[in-house]
Amino acid sequence: PRPPVRRPCRVMILVNPLSGRGQALQLFTGHLQGMLTEAAIPYTLVITEHQNHARELVKKADLSQWDALVIMSGDGLLFEVINGLMERDDWQEAIQTPLGILPGGSGNALAASVHHYSQSPPAWNEELLLSCGFMLCKGLVGSLDLVSIHLASKQRIFSFLSLAWGFVADVDIESEKYRHVGAIRFLMGTLVRLATLRVYQGRLAYLPLIPNSSPTHKPHPPPDSLLPGLDQPVPESWTVVKTEDFVLVLAIYQSHLAEDLWAVPGAAADDGIIHLFYVTGGISRPALLRLFLAMEKGAHLACGCPHLVYEKVRALRLEPISRQGVITVDGETVEYGPVQAQIHPGLARLIYG
Amino acid sequence: MGTTASQLGKDLLSEYQELTFLTKQEILLAHKRFTELLTKDEKDLPNVRVPMEKILTLPELKSNPFRTRICQVFSTSIVKDGSLTFEDFLDLLSAFSDSATLEIKSHYAFRIFDFDDDGTLDCGDLEKLVNCLTGETEDTRLTPEEMRQLIHNILDESDIDKDGTVNLSEFQHVISRSPDFVSSFKIVL
Repeated sequence: PRPPVRRPCRVMILVNPLSGRGQALQLFTGHLQGMLTEAAIPYTLVITEHQNHARELVKKADLSQWDALVIMSGDGLLFEVINGLMERDDWQEAIQTPLGILPGGSGNALAASVHHYSQSPPAWNEELLLSCGFMLCKGLVGSLDLVSIHLASKQRIFSFLSLAWGFVADVDIESEKYRHVGAIRFLMGTLVRLATLRVYQGRLAYLPLIPNSSPTHKPHPPPDSLLPGLDQPVPESWTVVKTEDFVLVLAIYQSHLAEDLWAVPGAAADDGIIHLFYVTGGISRPALLRLFLAMEKGAHLACGCPHLVYEKVRALRLEPISRQGVITVDGETVEYGPVQAQIHPGLARLIYG
Repeated sequence: MGTTASQLGKDLLSEYQELTFLTKQEILLAHKRFTELLTKDEKDLPNVRVPMEKILTLPELKSNPFRTRICQVFSTSIVKDGSLTFEDFLDLLSAFSDSATLEIKSHYAFRIFDFDDDGTLDCGDLEKLVNCLTGETEDTRLTPEEMRQLIHNILDESDIDKDGTVNLSEFQHVISRSPDFVSSFKIVL
């Protein structure tokens, strides 16, 4: 049984008014406000004014005032909050603050994952929002894996969703705008991406998860014990992928990449696993399309595509050789260059269940 | 003004370098590869026009699903047969080079997808584009209903002035949101 959020529960709700094509605030007042009032949850609404506003606020906040920090926006705002908490001197206590997520527009992968973990059938838009609102009111808290990511510039960031390189399908489609049909996944951006499909050169290595070992859930504080410096070779216990031609590399630690992209059947918020997928060069455009179409139902692994590889890992390193390309963390572009990552099981706390 | 296969003069080389996004090295390599496509007799002639079938034997184009459109767009042939002179070939490589700008690349991507060459992307163009990508087999080809829905979604997303087609600036606006477009829209010898 999970310990619930303390009652009465004072909640700070951070809203990005530009999220969801400017609808986030309306969605809040229209659907959530009533729910929270009925559940007698005192809350304070904070409207973010610019990028990094949330990050700075959370870095300086007196966290003893709050029982939970709730983000009503896309995944980008949660990224700011998590990194703001980890940048504090008292990060060890700060990261224990329960976090809540309400889908506020585009890029709601965590909300979709959390909804999925509650074993409900897939939901979008308002239904997803109400489901997450309901979970917030129930106030059950679980643990959340975080992945620390080292960039070439020696910067370290904390990620809760994914690290991706290469062909990235449009994961931030505003699905409330389009009637949901199998082919919805393709808008102009995806078609153009498919049309200009290219192969990226790079080296990939990872530390496999040892089967039958349960990952330890004691909060692993940074430093990252599994990672040598980026300029050093990877440890011998790591597996080095033989191919150096990739269409995409995706490391994901939640079940969903988007509301309609169920990437990891069987994932949990705190399974302590980085689910590593890569697609090798040589795959045809129709075959790649087939994978993304199948991913809506989590059926991509059953496609039997020889170019798709899936491994469960605890740490990884990616060194792009192609001079140009894009690397994203939690959906946002980061500096392009060698990166490595390690999972910290259960480092944060999330309201779900 | 043209060039014979045997020699690419220094002045011409500099001129080409100024007029395109290509480096001198890339231009020389292009010259070498283009010359390999010529017959023995053609090698002494200026301004030779190479037929599309021969251009399409280049490994860099052979498996590109838009290879025919690419040749047609860059061809200056009056009869619109996709044949390329060396300068047409350089224009092609320039647009697809490492240094070409987002504006140039998105301009040419638009022209390549404009299958009927009428200056806008309408339902017919979009349908052809999708079919190029979904392949011939049953399990990825879209049903007529899916195609209808998809084209509706695309127009909804991209057609800002709601005239039922996507024009160049609307297309460029959508493309500007893809951070990887410039690095993916590439053909390098």
